[in-house]
Amino acid sequence: MPRFRLASLRNVLLIARREYRERVRTRGFLITTIMIPLIMGGFVCGSILLGSKTPTDTQIAVVSSDTQLALDLQAELERRQRQQDDIAAQAAGSPATSSPQKRRPRILVNAMDPGPGTRAQLNSDLDSGDLDGYLWITPSTAPAGRPTFIYTSRSSGPSFIKNILADALSQVLIREHLAHRGVVAAEVDTMLQPVTIVAGQGVSHQDHESAEISVSVLFFVMYMVIMLYGMNVARSIIEEKTSRIFEVLLATIRPEAMMAGKIIGVGSVGLTQVGIWLVAVLLLAASAVGIHLGGDTVHIALTRPQVIFFLIYFILGYAFYSSIAAALGAMTNSEQELQQLNMFLVLPLLFCFVMLGTLLTTPDSTLARVLALVPPFTPLLMYLRVCLGHPAPWEVILSIVLTSASIYGIIWVTSRIYRIGVLMYGKRPSLPEILRWLKYS
Amino acid sequence: MPIVQLQHVRKVYDSKVAVEDLSFSIEPGTMFGLLGPNGSGKTSSIRMMIGITAPDSGSVSLFDQPFTRKLLSRVGYLPEERGLYKKMNVLDQLMFLGQLHYVSASLAEKRARDWCEKLQITEAIPKKTEDLSKGMQQKIQFIAALLHDPELIIMDEPFSGLDPVNATLLMDTLVDLRRQGKAVLFSTHRMDQVEKLCDNIALLHHGQLILSGSMREIKSSYPRNRIRIHFEGGDGFLQSPKIESLKRYPGYAEIKLRPSVTLADDAQSLLAEAVQVASITHFEVTEPTLEQIFIEKVLENSPGKPLDFTLQLEAPEESYLDA
Repeated sequence: MPRFRLASLRNVLLIARREYRERVRTRGFLITTIMIPLIMGGFVCGSILLGSKTPTDTQIAVVSSDTQLALDLQAELERRQRQQDDIAAQAAGSPATSSPQKRRPRILVNAMDPGPGTRAQLNSDLDSGDLDGYLWITPSTAPAGRPTFIYTSRSSGPSFIKNILADALSQVLIREHLAHRGVVAAEVDTMLQPVTIVAGQGVSHQDHESAEISVSVLFFVMYMVIMLYGMNVARSIIEEKTSRIFEVLLATIRPEAMMAGKIIGVGSVGLTQVGIWLVAVLLLAASAVGIHLGGDTVHIALTRPQVIFFLIYFILGYAFYSSIAAALGAMTNSEQELQQLNMFLVLPLLFCFVMLGTLLTTPDSTLARVLALVPPFTPLLMYLRVCLGHPAPWEVILSIVLTSASIYGIIWVTSRIYRIGVLMYGKRPSLPEILRWLKYS
Repeated sequence: MPIVQLQHVRKVYDSKVAVEDLSFSIEPGTMFGLLGPNGSGKTSSIRMMIGITAPDSGSVSLFDQPFTRKLLSRVGYLPEERGLYKKMNVLDQLMFLGQLHYVSASLAEKRARDWCEKLQITEAIPKKTEDLSKGMQQKIQFIAALLHDPELIIMDEPFSGLDPVNATLLMDTLVDLRRQGKAVLFSTHRMDQVEKLCDNIALLHHGQLILSGSMREIKSSYPRNRIRIHFEGGDGFLQSPKIESLKRYPGYAEIKLRPSVTLADDAQSLLAEAVQVASITHFEVTEPTLEQIFIEKVLENSPGKPLDFTLQLEAPEESYLDA
């Protein structure tokens, strides 16, 4: 009876539209839509402000009886900083000199000879804060041995300084060593030129890093949206039960249509809100603040198939978990009871999260192939495989079919639980009772 | 063509039998009263008629066809548990419910406004449902059940909780709808409403049909052995051997005469006795009221059981309807 099916679809849309309009009109929607980005924006701006204050120049002293070594170290550190400035300038697309708005923290080195009162002087400078640390170089007593290096710093000083110093020192020592062997300075420079790897214009799944990031983003967006809106589906069903409106509705429409309408309606509210936030984030990223955030470390490159599959699996995942939430709502009579059951939503997601690490490295293992076809895990894990692995087309299609079928199945079961559950009052049903209900309607 | 037909319907919840072997039918242009005390199976029967639950055995047909959900677009339903979206605007709410019944948005709006005018609640149209009084909400729900111009109107306790003015307004509306040829079924535990309005009735007790048929036939099958007498003065005539039982109230008495072939004469001679000792302001000889019939029927069906339901029959908050 295609005409009747059409009528059902019409009812689903009517329910969804009502749900959507009533929810979007509320003050609560307006407040969360505005407040959450503001709060998050506040955090981001705050951390940028804090971040821009902390990296100040580090003043250190190098004490060595071998003056040449101290000067070489000083030169090496300065050379490195120049290099970094150049890279940063290239990333920003402008020469280093024209973008002085943010100076990178520098390590200022002061070379000095050890004297009788030097150590005491340095220690008092350290205490007063004029100095952040000092490196004391004691020449080796053995003829070919290495000198010993002791770095003393204020406890609050940044710890990475020690690594930078060790790195620079080993370079200096290699240079010195090569120079001793008679290698020309220019040759040494070429030899020690740092290697840079430029990312090529690869195919999507070779861009492992950005795929990893987009999978993580999907995971967190999905987790957040499911927790926020999946629970809204459940809550809206409980609300309908307490207001007893369902009886009028059930006298005209099928409970399946009602469930589907609710999931779509409440779901679209969630998608609208996330959409608004995404636009806000994009605007934020486009502004000056965003540039500093992204910086030169992360470069997200999404290809079109990645975006399309993101949407497909996001919608599937959302529908899947919302229909489970709907089932929880149909089984419970109050928010408190619902809270006790929400682990059914969280556990599968957490399981995906646990598996994420394993699958990132081996996206085409048997384990990954099997798990990605299990409906609760499909949205996250199959997406991960699409981005990072090489799933066969039939696997992708099968995963979509299986998840869609299980969404339909869950809604079918839920609507039966709902139809009977709403007509019973008071107590929460036990499992055998739920099974009986399924048979009974 | 019967609009509704129930045949040997049975429904069991867990171990409790809600409805047992229930059969009746409703014709177009008639008003049908489904009666019984609380918990007698009225709501369960109604829910089976509109497919919220299915009968365990027996059959339900609507409009001379076996039940399908498709037929529900021709049924208007007012549930006992009133429920509306609290936060929703009244007009939006009515339009939404109308559209669910396949009425176009514009027609639903027009009918909603017309009905609000008819039921004198136009001022409620722009308001949120939760801001309305309970009686007004009930009228809104009443309208919601009628927006799609249903051929069958099923109302579970439509007048409960309404003041006499509004209850009468809704009753008149239902009478109008019957005149337009609609079939109306309503349930109640108030026998006086049924007596006033219904063409046919079905009396339920503990899920069983204990009496059904046309109101007129049921009443005429009982002898005119009831007397209601309002009097001032002596009440010696109440000791007459012709009286089987009686109830004394301030200012009047309700009398049941002993079965006899000369009932009409017995009544007249009782009046003659009364006139001698008291001044009579009202004297009426009738068949038993539906309520009296019901009580008798229930007693026949469950001897020895206490008459707990009589308390519900005389629920004080609704007794103004007796007036």
